[in-house]
Amino acid sequence: MNASNDKTSAHATDEPVLVASGLRKTYRMGRVPVQVLKDASIEIRSGEWVAILGASGSGKSTLLHLLGGLDRPDPDGGMIRFEGRRVSDFGGAELNGYRNRSVGFVFQFYHLLPELSVLENAMLPCLVPNRWFSATLPLLAALIGGGVGAVVGSTFGVDILPTADAPTPSKIALLALTCGVLGAAIGVVIFQLGQILAERTRLRHGPQAANSRHTLEEFGLGHRLRHRPSQLSGGERQRTAIARALASEPSILMADEPTGNLDATTGREILDLLKKRHDAGLTIVMVTHDPTVAEYADRVVQLEDGRVVESTV
Amino acid sequence: MYQPLLANRYLRSRIIPLIAVAAVALCVGLVIIVVSVMSGFLDMLLNSGRTLMGDVIIRYADPGIPHYDLLIEEIESRPEALAATPVVESFGLLKLPYGNRTEGVQVWGIEPASFGQVVDFKDSLVWTEAPPEVRKFADEMNGLEIPVFEKLPRLDPESDDDDPGVILGVEIDSAAKVRRMDGSYEVKAPAFWMPFRDVEITLIPISTSGALEKPDNRRFDVTNEFQSGVYQIDSRRAMIGLETGQRMLGLEAAPIYDTRLLDETGELERIGTYPARVQMILVRAADGVSPEQLRDSVNLAYSAFAAKIDDEGAMTIRPPDEAFVGIRTWREQLRDLIGPVEKERELMRILFSIVYLVCAGLVLSIFWSIVHEKTRDIGILRAIGASRPGVLGVFLAYGLVIGLVGAFLGALLGWSVVVNINSIHEAMGEPAPDWTWITAFALAAVMLLTAIHAGLRGGMLRTLLSIVGALILAGVGTALVLHRGFLMWDPAVYYFNSIPNQVDWSSAILTMAGAIVFSVLGAAIPAAKAADTDPVKALRYE
Ligand SMILES: Nc1ncnc2c1ncn2[C@@H]1O[C@H](COP(=O)(O)OP(=O)(O)O)[C@@H](O)[C@H]1O
Ligand SMILES: [Mg+2]
Repeated sequence: MNASNDKTSAHATDEPVLVASGLRKTYRMGRVPVQVLKDASIEIRSGEWVAILGASGSGKSTLLHLLGGLDRPDPDGGMIRFEGRRVSDFGGAELNGYRNRSVGFVFQFYHLLPELSVLENAMLPCLVPNRWFSATLPLLAALIGGGVGAVVGSTFGVDILPTADAPTPSKIALLALTCGVLGAAIGVVIFQLGQILAERTRLRHGPQAANSRHTLEEFGLGHRLRHRPSQLSGGERQRTAIARALASEPSILMADEPTGNLDATTGREILDLLKKRHDAGLTIVMVTHDPTVAEYADRVVQLEDGRVVESTV
Repeated sequence: MYQPLLANRYLRSRIIPLIAVAAVALCVGLVIIVVSVMSGFLDMLLNSGRTLMGDVIIRYADPGIPHYDLLIEEIESRPEALAATPVVESFGLLKLPYGNRTEGVQVWGIEPASFGQVVDFKDSLVWTEAPPEVRKFADEMNGLEIPVFEKLPRLDPESDDDDPGVILGVEIDSAAKVRRMDGSYEVKAPAFWMPFRDVEITLIPISTSGALEKPDNRRFDVTNEFQSGVYQIDSRRAMIGLETGQRMLGLEAAPIYDTRLLDETGELERIGTYPARVQMILVRAADGVSPEQLRDSVNLAYSAFAAKIDDEGAMTIRPPDEAFVGIRTWREQLRDLIGPVEKERELMRILFSIVYLVCAGLVLSIFWSIVHEKTRDIGILRAIGASRPGVLGVFLAYGLVIGLVGAFLGALLGWSVVVNINSIHEAMGEPAPDWTWITAFALAAVMLLTAIHAGLRGGMLRTLLSIVGALILAGVGTALVLHRGFLMWDPAVYYFNSIPNQVDWSSAILTMAGAIVFSVLGAAIPAAKAADTDPVKALRYE
C-alpha cells in the first residue's frame, strides 16, 4: 500500500494538463453556508492516474464536478486551467466543448439514458455537439413549410372562409398565418422523420458507431449492443458508461466512485478495464473512499477538511 | 444529431404521449364540431336572406327614387351587374279570411319577371301543385276550382275587373297548415288553404310632402306562399305587383299642374309629369363579382344616372342626392338579422377559447410531468456537452409531434362527426335498437366475470379496471334501454331542414395551429427550465 508512489506510469510527463488551485465551494443549506472545499489545489499530469481519496461527504464529488466543468467554484474561489486555458472563463459553447471532448465523466450511478440502447448510449457524446446544420436545417424546413402553408392559406383562404365571414384582409392574413404554422409544423416533422431514416444507418454503421462498438466489444458487451440499460447488470451498465466517457477520446477520464455501487469482483473488473486503458495512455482522475480501489492509481491524494493533501499512506 | 432520435424514443416508449395526443385530439375535435355547426347555421341564414335581397340594395324611403327605369338601365349596362329589379315597400294591414284577424305586414310591390332574375324567387314559392288533402277536399266540395301554379305568378291584374294577386310569407297564415319534419307542409284545414282564399290589404300612401293620405284598401287573390327560411321575413312579408303597389301608395306617374294658372276653361294647366317612383332597387352581381365590388359599381352607376337626369332641363324631377341614398350590400342590409347570430358565434368562439385554454392547461401539465421526469436525462445530456438549445430541441420535436398528430386526429374526428351529424342526430332521435343495449349488458357481464377472475388471482389493477368497465357498460346499457328518442333539432321549430354539415375549415385550421403551438410551448417551457439548471443539480434530482 505504500508503494503507490513507485508505480508512476511511464506515460506520465511533467506537463500538467489540468491545474486547479485554491478552489473554494460553498453550499447553502437554507441560511447556513457550508464550505465544502476550502483551498483545494491539485495538478494532473498527462498520462497519470490520480486517485482522490476521502471520507464520504468530504467533497470529493464536488471537486471532481468542478474539474469536469459540471459546476463552478465560488466567485473568486480559485481557478482551473486546462491545457493553459481557464475553465472558469469558458463561455457556454466552450464549456460544452470541454465537457464533450476534453473530459469524459463516469458517475457512481452510471447515468445512462434509459430509452437508448447500449450502443446509442455509448456513442451519445459524438452525437451531441452542435453542427452548423443542427439548428439551421430544421429552421429551414420550418421556413419552407411555413412559406408553403402561408401561400396556400392566402390563395385558398377565401374559399374556405364561411360565407358569413366577410373576406377582410386581416382574416385572410390570419388564415395565411395559421396555415403557415401548420405548414411549418408539418415541414419540421417531415424533416425529422427524414433525418431519423437517414441517421439510422449512420447510427448503426457510421465510423463513430464502429468506434463505440469496438470499445463495447472490448468491454465484453458485444452481444448487448441493442439492449436497454434496464436489461443490464450494474457492472455492464458501468462498462457502458465508461465506453460513453471514452467515445469522444477525451484527454482526461474522470470517474466518481466508479465501483461504489458494485460488488468487489465486478469492481475489480471495472478497475482492470480502466488500468488497461491507462496503460494505453489514458489520463484518469478517480474519486473513491476505498483505499484498496485507490491502490490502482499511480498517485493518491487525500481530501481532508476541504483541502487536498498528498497521501502519506 | 440526437434530437430526432431521442424525441422518437420518448414518443414511443410510454403511454403518456398517447394520452397527450388523445387530449389534444379531443379538444380540437370538440371545437371544430361546435364552431362548424354554428358557422353553418349562420351561412344558411345568410344564404336564405340573400335569396330574398340580391347582392346590393339601393334604398331611398318616400318619396322614392324617380326615373328608376333609367337607373336600372344604367346599372344593367355595367359588367358587374347581372340584373336589377324595382321594389316598392310599405307597411300595411293584412286582413286574413278567418277569425277576423288583421296583421301588420311589410308589403313589397315587385315585378315578378325581373325580381326572379335577381333573387331565387321561384325556388322560394311553397306550392307547385295542390297537395292531395286539398285535392280531396276540392272533390268533396265538388267543383271547387284548384288553382294552377305558374312559375312566374301574375300579380298585377290584366284588367281593372280582376283582383290583383298577392304572395304571402308562409308563416303569416300559421293556422291552416303544419310543417312536417322534412320541411314540407301538411294542410290541416283545406278550407282555409290560402291559395283558395282572398285577403284584404290596406296601405297608407304618403304624399310628396310627407303627410299621410287617405288609406287605400283592396282585395287580393292569394296566388302562392313563399318561404325564405328566415322567420322574421316569412311571418311578416306579403308581395304584391309593382304597379298595384305604386298605385296604392301614390307612387305612380302623375301629371303636374301649375296651381297658379287656371286656363279659360277653368282647368289646371298641365306642365309636366311626376314620374313613377320606387323605394328600392335590388341588384344581383354577375358571376365572380363580390357584393362589395358590385356596390362600388352601383355607386358609380348612380352618379352617372343622377348627372344624366340633371342635364334634362329645369322642370324635371331630380333623383335624390347620392349622399342620402343607401347603397348597401345584402350583408350590410341584413346587419340586424346577422348581427345577433354573428355575436352568438363569437360568443361561442370565446367560450370555446376558454375550453381551449383549459385544454392548453391540460396539455401543459401533461408535458410538465413528462419533462420533469426527464430532468435526469437532461442533466446527463448537459454533462456530456449538449447545449441548452440542443436539449430544448428534443422537447420541441416531442411537443411538435404530439401537437401535430393530435391536431390532425382531432380534425379527422371533428370532420367525421360534422359530416355525419344528421345521421347521428337521426339515430339519436330513434329509440336505441335492442342489440345495442343487449351488447352493452353482455359486455358488462363479461367484464364482471373478468373482475372476479382477476380478483381471485390477486391482480389489483385488472380487478379495478374491469369493475369500472363493467359499471360504465352497465350504465350505457341502462341509458340505451331508457332512451326513447329525442330530437334536438326539430325542423318544425328551427327553420332549416337539416343541421349544417359543412366543416368550417378556417376555424378548424386556426384550432389546429393553436393546438400545435400550445403543445410545443407546453413541452418547451419545462424543458427550458430543466436545461437552465446546472447538470449537477439536475443529476442530483432523484
Ligand atoms: N447541491 C448541494 N447543496 C447542498 N449541499 C451539498 C450539495 N452538494 C453537496 N453538498 C454537500 O457537500 C458535502 C460534500 O458532498 P460531496 O462532494 O458529494 O461528497 P463526497 O462525494 O465526498 O461524498 C456533503 O456534505 C453534501 O451534503
Ligand atoms: Mg460522492
